[in-house]
Amino acid sequence: MTKIEARIGVGLRGPHLAEIRATRPAIGWFEVHTENYLGNTPALTALLDVRADYPVSLHGVGLSLGSAEGIDEAHLQEVAALAQRVEPCLVSEHLSWSIAGGTYLNDLLPLPYTEEALDAVAANVTRAQEALGRTLLIENPSTYLRFRHSTIPEPELLAALVQRTGCRLLLDVNNVFVTCTNFAADPVAYLHAIPHAAVAEIHLAGHFRTGRTQPPLLIDDHGDVVCDEVWRLYRIALGRFGLAPSLIEWDRQIPPLATLLGEARKAERIAAEAQHVDDAA
Amino acid sequence: MSTTLLELQQAFRAALLAGDDAALATLIHEDGLPAAERIEVYRHNVVASLTEVLADTYPAVCRLVDRRFFGYAAHEFLTTHPPARPRLAEYGGGFADFLAGFAPCRELEYLPDVARLEWLVHSAAHAAEAAPIAAAALASWPPEATPNLVLRLHPSIGHLRSPWPVDRLWAANRTCEAENAEAVDLGAGGVLLEVARAGHGVALRSLGPGVFAFRAALSGGATLTAAAEAGLAADDAFDVPAALADVFGSGAAVGIELPPDS
Repeated sequence: MTKIEARIGVGLRGPHLAEIRATRPAIGWFEVHTENYLGNTPALTALLDVRADYPVSLHGVGLSLGSAEGIDEAHLQEVAALAQRVEPCLVSEHLSWSIAGGTYLNDLLPLPYTEEALDAVAANVTRAQEALGRTLLIENPSTYLRFRHSTIPEPELLAALVQRTGCRLLLDVNNVFVTCTNFAADPVAYLHAIPHAAVAEIHLAGHFRTGRTQPPLLIDDHGDVVCDEVWRLYRIALGRFGLAPSLIEWDRQIPPLATLLGEARKAERIAAEAQHVDDAA
Repeated sequence: MSTTLLELQQAFRAALLAGDDAALATLIHEDGLPAAERIEVYRHNVVASLTEVLADTYPAVCRLVDRRFFGYAAHEFLTTHPPARPRLAEYGGGFADFLAGFAPCRELEYLPDVARLEWLVHSAAHAAEAAPIAAAALASWPPEATPNLVLRLHPSIGHLRSPWPVDRLWAANRTCEAENAEAVDLGAGGVLLEVARAGHGVALRSLGPGVFAFRAALSGGATLTAAAEAGLAADDAFDVPAALADVFGSGAAVGIELPPDS
């Protein structure tokens, strides 16, 4: 396992791959979507070339940790084999589910926040950590609906998961903003409900504001620059959780690499200010 | 007794794939927005993302039927044939057979074969890496074993026989958004194609009947004898030694095995 410094990374996406391999830009690390690199394929060969010069984080969307049916063992073994090859700095997944009745639904679907769901996620996280032989980071999701029978606030459920499984958290500040806006909750209070030692990585991304304004409905599409409110939450998060490695994600209407790196520079400046405040304290 | 997690997830699946919101809607807090609109956000994510996966795999089909019709066909396909696993590079192999039975595009008789070719091209790009072996590897087996040997071809290699000039249709319609496609004469005749990874891309090769039958048989796991017989059955003048040499010369051979039952 490679050590990762508290630096800024960006998501590695297909349209930028050739430029990155040719120019080797100054950036702390790259994160990729695990499912795009499974098997001994040319995609993995290209990733290992990037990996020779940068730490790489594996960010999964397919483990379906919230599935009542348990984990797809074949998929888990493929992810574990990939982790063996890549020796990633971080491995993360989501507090969500995507597999039911043997069907992969290709979205991060919401869970009811109940004791039963917590038990299911904890069992699946434990199984995944056992197969991977390492600590998994779990990301808070963007959600667009809540279940009537939910009894546990999301940050409390995440805290309980950390306590039960020894996993850590990937705090997606944009998702905190999207979810809290969608349910008229206070994102700062959300951050304060997350245990301060649990956060091992931070995600930053843009979102899409639908025409609906009362109440607003934001969609997490990773298709834009990070908005001012999310940068403000990022400053608060750094103050509370310390200088966790942070990542800019951009998946739709992917801009030129320079634009993405520009967002990373902005995050670096904010992190440097936070460091300065830390040192002065 | 409240809804279990399993029941909730089954209800969600029914809402996303079958449009049946009833069971799921009763579980959702409206919070000022109807449950149906909240479910629709997720349904849109699933349908749009999987349609994009299919459009990326089948750009020529998309170009040939136009994007709107493609969206309609993709929706019908993905809701009835959703992915079983999260490795989406493996998703969509059944689209050609689906199109063959899809009444609204029945007149486009060549369309399923264009889709078959695009699936081979896609699969070639995502196939596992394997290193070619030299012809000398064959000599390391005792001569009496040779007829029963199985020559493994590179995992990216696939074969397609079509009565339509699908290679030209594919070449003329490479992107879903292409403005003007070159006209293709559908009467130009059929093709025997081999698809394989070449460098960073994928290459198509047009083969004669004997070579096509021989290499398709090898690709299907036939023994050298069975593959040679298939080649000769397709073409009396099929030159077995030359074809065998070309399998090595073209870098297609990646392994030699003796099947356990021989």
